[in-house]
Amino acid sequence: MRNSWLVAMRELKERLGSRSFVGMMIAGPVLILVLIYFLFVFGGEGQQKWNVLIADPTGIMDNKILVSADPDVTYSFANGYVEMNEFRDAKQFRDFDALVEINEKILSNKLSFVFYRENPSMRMQTKIRYQVERRIEEVMVAQFTDLSIRDFRKVKQPLNMAFRNVYDPMDEASDLRGWVGLFYGGLIFAFIFLFGMTILRSVTREKSNRIVEVLLATVHPNQLMIGKIVGIGIAAFIQFVVWMLFVAIGLMLMRSYVFPDLFDPSQVVAMGEHASDKFFAVKEYNQFVDLVYERVRFGTMTFYFVLFFIVGYLFYGALFAAIGATSGSESDGQQFVLPLIFLLCFALFAGYYSLQNPESGLAQLFHYLPFTSPVVVMVKLSLGYAPGHAYEIWMSLIVLILSASGVLVLAGRLYRNGILQFGHRLRFGMLLRWLKRM
Amino acid sequence: MLEVQHISKSFFRKTALEDVSMSVREGEIFGLLGPNGAGKTTLIRVINRIIDADRGVVRINGDLMTQKQLSMVGYLPEERGLYKSMTVEDHALFLGQLRGLPRRDVKVQLEFWLEKFGIADWKKKRIEELSKGMAQKVQFICTVLHEPKMLILDEPLSGFDPVNVELIKQELVEMRAKGKMIILSTHNMKSVEEICDRVALIDHAKKILEGTVSEIRESRKTGEIAIKFRGSMIAFVNALWTNFELVDKEILADDRFIARVKTRGDSNFDDLLRAMMDQVRIEAVWEVLPSMQDIFIDLVNPKTEKTHA
Repeated sequence: MRNSWLVAMRELKERLGSRSFVGMMIAGPVLILVLIYFLFVFGGEGQQKWNVLIADPTGIMDNKILVSADPDVTYSFANGYVEMNEFRDAKQFRDFDALVEINEKILSNKLSFVFYRENPSMRMQTKIRYQVERRIEEVMVAQFTDLSIRDFRKVKQPLNMAFRNVYDPMDEASDLRGWVGLFYGGLIFAFIFLFGMTILRSVTREKSNRIVEVLLATVHPNQLMIGKIVGIGIAAFIQFVVWMLFVAIGLMLMRSYVFPDLFDPSQVVAMGEHASDKFFAVKEYNQFVDLVYERVRFGTMTFYFVLFFIVGYLFYGALFAAIGATSGSESDGQQFVLPLIFLLCFALFAGYYSLQNPESGLAQLFHYLPFTSPVVVMVKLSLGYAPGHAYEIWMSLIVLILSASGVLVLAGRLYRNGILQFGHRLRFGMLLRWLKRM
Repeated sequence: MLEVQHISKSFFRKTALEDVSMSVREGEIFGLLGPNGAGKTTLIRVINRIIDADRGVVRINGDLMTQKQLSMVGYLPEERGLYKSMTVEDHALFLGQLRGLPRRDVKVQLEFWLEKFGIADWKKKRIEELSKGMAQKVQFICTVLHEPKMLILDEPLSGFDPVNVELIKQELVEMRAKGKMIILSTHNMKSVEEICDRVALIDHAKKILEGTVSEIRESRKTGEIAIKFRGSMIAFVNALWTNFELVDKEILADDRFIARVKTRGDSNFDDLLRAMMDQVRIEAVWEVLPSMQDIFIDLVNPKTEKTHA
């Protein structure tokens, strides 16, 4: 035990002193915060400036569309017919990304074609539709009614039918929250992969510079392996805690200084009928803002994250250590790590599958399968367990703990038998033989 | 005392050690000799409990060698490494503590050894800043830091310059005087002759020779006598007549020679001296003993390999 601890502390000290560790400690949370910032600002969709030509031969729109300019879309008007082929090939239209056709029948059939060169994002499609529609509305209201545009919009306001799940009336378990779970699960596996590779490199380095023989003269191979996994695991945990702290502080600062007005729902009301794209954007923001600041139960998620992170890390970490110990060279190790990477990717897929089909039998299987459970549990946790089914988390954790113990024993055998083998080409048969040897 | 009793070890179908027994006493430097691949490193790993033997036991002072007793052992493997990014002090602290020494004692011991080797200013240096020879010294210090009762050194002199070779040899001799058991695995036969008390030769997984250095050399002697003289070589050869045979000669300056001769029939050492006394001026005469190098080559030469194969 003492020896394992000494090995662990040496590993930890080495990690804490390495530039890449410190770099990641800063770069990781910055990256997450930047991601969240863009998610808030662009509503999760690709942002691109579009140049749109509106062909309005009958002058229905009167060359007007928005009160204030949209930073993302520039509209120009053509007061004659522009055919699709002409728009596509003619030199003078090359600079336009899309052509909106407003013909004389639009007021009766409400049909307009939009021809584009590159597929517009959903957000851009919504934006163009929204802005053109609002202008057409103004024209129609002026032409066919005596109402003010304000009254018209009140009349036009659709009935908002709010569908509510009787078990989840506040819609706490929305799909979006599931994505947060997947993000958490992904984070577990990103850490497992990053620090698993660190274990692999550390073991192969000790093998290649032969210090392992000096160590094994005092330390039992299993103690050495456990010490290494624990030491690097503590480093990973410290990294995670620092990330969480930075992200939490960053989110608080963002709320106070970067988006103070956009988080205030009163701003939306104040914009009233003149709210245009900004209103549109705020609606987009609020989904994520609401999600990040109000709906995610960070405390619960983080608690289970830590549990599944530790056991999942032990499960995979032991496999990384075994591969490092049994490989004859570093390239050998990288080759044999491919199946592990495949497993990690499969676990992410299982998480995504569970997000889409949370109640399916396969999702249930993934929930207990030790390879996939850390991600799937996070997803299901964020989606919410049915009342009385929370015990499933603990069942999954117990399965994972038992599996991790089994893997540690088997990996210990491989480690013990492989650590002093040098320069060989690792073959599957070799692994089986070493597994059989006590 | 270390007792290695009937150790056998195989790796799948390859026999690495076959019924090897030997013992190392306190206050003794024991040379473990053998060609590459003979099984020396496997034997050392079995003694160190790095690998388990298929058969046989290792005892230290009458008790079975256990993990706990490994703190009594200092091991310097042939292909030794260090953590390049660590400082000399951190390295010593890590290895010293692993061998059961409290942190404070490691520091005291490290100071002592660094002072002794005249390298006190290396303490805070990172291993990657050291030359190969400097790193070798650090490795040696890390091996002896915890004052082990038994030292197992695999090629401890390789990589050192002649001055440092002498320094390490001197250290080993001092440790022997303090009663430590030292196993020295080396191919440097000159060092074996100089500092080893007893040796064992392993070849093709078997121990083929064991004894003190002088016993072994004595047992392998061929009856040759070397005579160093001043005078005429022709007169010397004529004096040999039929009772002696000239095997080899070495010409020194100023009509001085060293000749190696073999006796024939009943002739002996005294007869040779009598025959030569009137012919040349004898400066020295001694009985030629084969060097450990010659014995080693003789025992493990290709002919021997064929026999084993």
